[in-house]
Amino acid sequence: MKRLLKTVAVAAAVALSLAGCGSSKGSSASTDVNPSGKIVGHQISWLLSRNSADPVVATMQKIAEEYAQTHPGFSLKLITTPDRPSYIQKYETLATAKQLPELFDTDATPFAHNLAKQGRMVNVEDLLKTLGLYGDYRANALDYQRFDDGSLYMIPLEYQAEYFWYNKALFDKAGVSVPTSLDDIPAMCTALRKAGVTPIAIDGADQWPLERYVAYQPFRVGGPDYIKQLKTGKTTLAAAPGQAAVNWLAALGNAKCFQTGFSSQGYSDAQNLFTSGQAAMYNIGTWELSSLATTKLSEKVRSDVDFFTLPTVPNSKTDANEYVVTSGIGVAVNAKTYDPLMRDFLKFALTKYYTMYAASGALSPTSNVTTAIPADATPLYKKAVDDANSVGGALLMPWDTQLDPTTNTTLQQDQVLLVQGNMSPATFTSTIDSAIAKNAPKYFK
Amino acid sequence: MLPRRSRLSVLVFLLPPLLVYGVAVLFPILQSLYLSFFSWDGITSMQFVGVSNYVHMLTDDPVFWKAFTNALVYLAICLALQLGGALIVASLLTSFRRGRETIKTLYLLPTVISTVAIAVLFERVYSFKPAGLLNQLLDWIGLGHFAQPWLSNVHTVLVADSIPEGWRFSGLYMLIIYAAFLAVPQELEEAARIDGASRWVIFRRVRFPYIRPVWITTTIMATTYALRGFDIPYLLTNGGPGQASELLTTYMYRTAFTSTNYGYASTISVFIVVECLIAVGLLFLLLRRKADA
Repeated sequence: MKRLLKTVAVAAAVALSLAGCGSSKGSSASTDVNPSGKIVGHQISWLLSRNSADPVVATMQKIAEEYAQTHPGFSLKLITTPDRPSYIQKYETLATAKQLPELFDTDATPFAHNLAKQGRMVNVEDLLKTLGLYGDYRANALDYQRFDDGSLYMIPLEYQAEYFWYNKALFDKAGVSVPTSLDDIPAMCTALRKAGVTPIAIDGADQWPLERYVAYQPFRVGGPDYIKQLKTGKTTLAAAPGQAAVNWLAALGNAKCFQTGFSSQGYSDAQNLFTSGQAAMYNIGTWELSSLATTKLSEKVRSDVDFFTLPTVPNSKTDANEYVVTSGIGVAVNAKTYDPLMRDFLKFALTKYYTMYAASGALSPTSNVTTAIPADATPLYKKAVDDANSVGGALLMPWDTQLDPTTNTTLQQDQVLLVQGNMSPATFTSTIDSAIAKNAPKYFK
Repeated sequence: MLPRRSRLSVLVFLLPPLLVYGVAVLFPILQSLYLSFFSWDGITSMQFVGVSNYVHMLTDDPVFWKAFTNALVYLAICLALQLGGALIVASLLTSFRRGRETIKTLYLLPTVISTVAIAVLFERVYSFKPAGLLNQLLDWIGLGHFAQPWLSNVHTVLVADSIPEGWRFSGLYMLIIYAAFLAVPQELEEAARIDGASRWVIFRRVRFPYIRPVWITTTIMATTYALRGFDIPYLLTNGGPGQASELLTTYMYRTAFTSTNYGYASTISVFIVVECLIAVGLLFLLLRRKADA
């Protein structure tokens, strides 16, 4: 028995000492963006959250193949996890295990900021300036990738604007017109429901689309700084901009704005609902232009589809041309594996990438290239591109990239209950405020 | 007492599996126990917080208690479907002469289907628009007004999540119990029958006591599996809507990999280990007492 106890004690000691190895000391040493030495070809891995049909991937693959022709031994290995929640789990687990590859996708989250603070990511602002590319980017595209302290550690590879796509025939059937204020939407939903139409198609399973609706009223009522203040606990959801969001969401729920059972329906369910003419509105970004503004869209609804941008509210603090415009998930460069080859490849890739990307019909995060309108595009395609090119300076930052992860999870879970009427606005407000009070201090020191 | 050489042989044969068990099972448990005393986001320094994670979990975390209650409901439904269903089907099978193999195969089929396929299948079964199998069935039998999005309704989602898990493993337990029934001596049953015992009395007094050891093992297996149930609820609803189908396992996973709060997630995982050990202990006590009575 004594021996057994001794063995267990030794095992515990070993376990504790090994587990102790998992702890890490912070380091803020910055990486030299111009490392000296010979360029030696080797494989570069990119952990990314994009599907293989994404023009970003196709363009980068073409560039990598071209680069490999003059650099023996070089190859670009793509490790793809398109499903965003699964990707984030994979990326955070690899970061914890210090096993991140040379390139990895990340939003400007508090988690990524901690990685940057530890010197585990290359300073992209320094890198782009050294490569002479910094001035080419749209200010919005770079600002979207910045952390709260203004530092830039991610390269933007795309530029997307989010619109409310709607079906004109269904609007006519219900006798409603394009809303001039966010506050008009609940009444529109009631009218659409009365006409037997699903007012808004939404991908409820992925949670971020509904979280966009949480962000709209505060952006109009309180401006872009409200979320910056809220996430750090300097203001509360009980404040006027927060209450505008909570009450509006409850009103959307009461008016049955979203399809029945939306919380368990996914991306393609929502898209099908709109493109098949069953739902009147669908809030999605320009990454869906090829599905919504080309001849790929069913003939049944093609001539009826149009879009409007985020409506304002009375006394709105932000302008009508300011809404969700993102430069997508950014690409971070691992400081640990950064070497002369990485620098050379990034210079080669970024010099060519944006021209090729815009030629594929996508919006570029740089302002020195023009998006090619595809041959099968409907007039909406150009309209969407033009609108995206004339957005204002205030950015509506998606809340899922702003809040600390625990508060964000709580919000994503409870927003569904609020809309479904399973949670009162008061309970929702106090739950989120207490989650921020408890968790924000840990992430925003 | 084994001779010295035999003892050495036993040690040589036992050591490798014990080492594997230690590395694969004991080490992670001990590591979780260690981590549960820290606050750690996975990338910054670990901070020793003593037992505050445990205090928070037990006294100040309503989601934890909600997940715990949900886990008990999930366990009850899984056990009812798996053990109850398995016992009924196994009993019926022993009295069948024809089609026994076909029924066994059909009943066992869900066990070999992948979890993801089962989740997708049930997602479609519960679908509201387009109407899935369940809502169509309700419509056919004139109960169309009961049709609803089963996975979005906070009152039905937990049951809807539990059914696929229960259905999935009932075939496996049926096979184990059926094998145990086959081992019951026919003479005992015949003697009871001659004495005028009814089928129910034969089952209660002869068959079931005979398979009790197998029943105990099966119950322990089903209980621990259900307490650790994760994949189907995670894939079907990911704990939602809200926390309506949140289980301790999905909550632990979310805490670790979404909230990156590895210390607190380890505290929950330690609770799951303790909960499983208590459940097995209680089952042993309960079933042994009944056997002795």
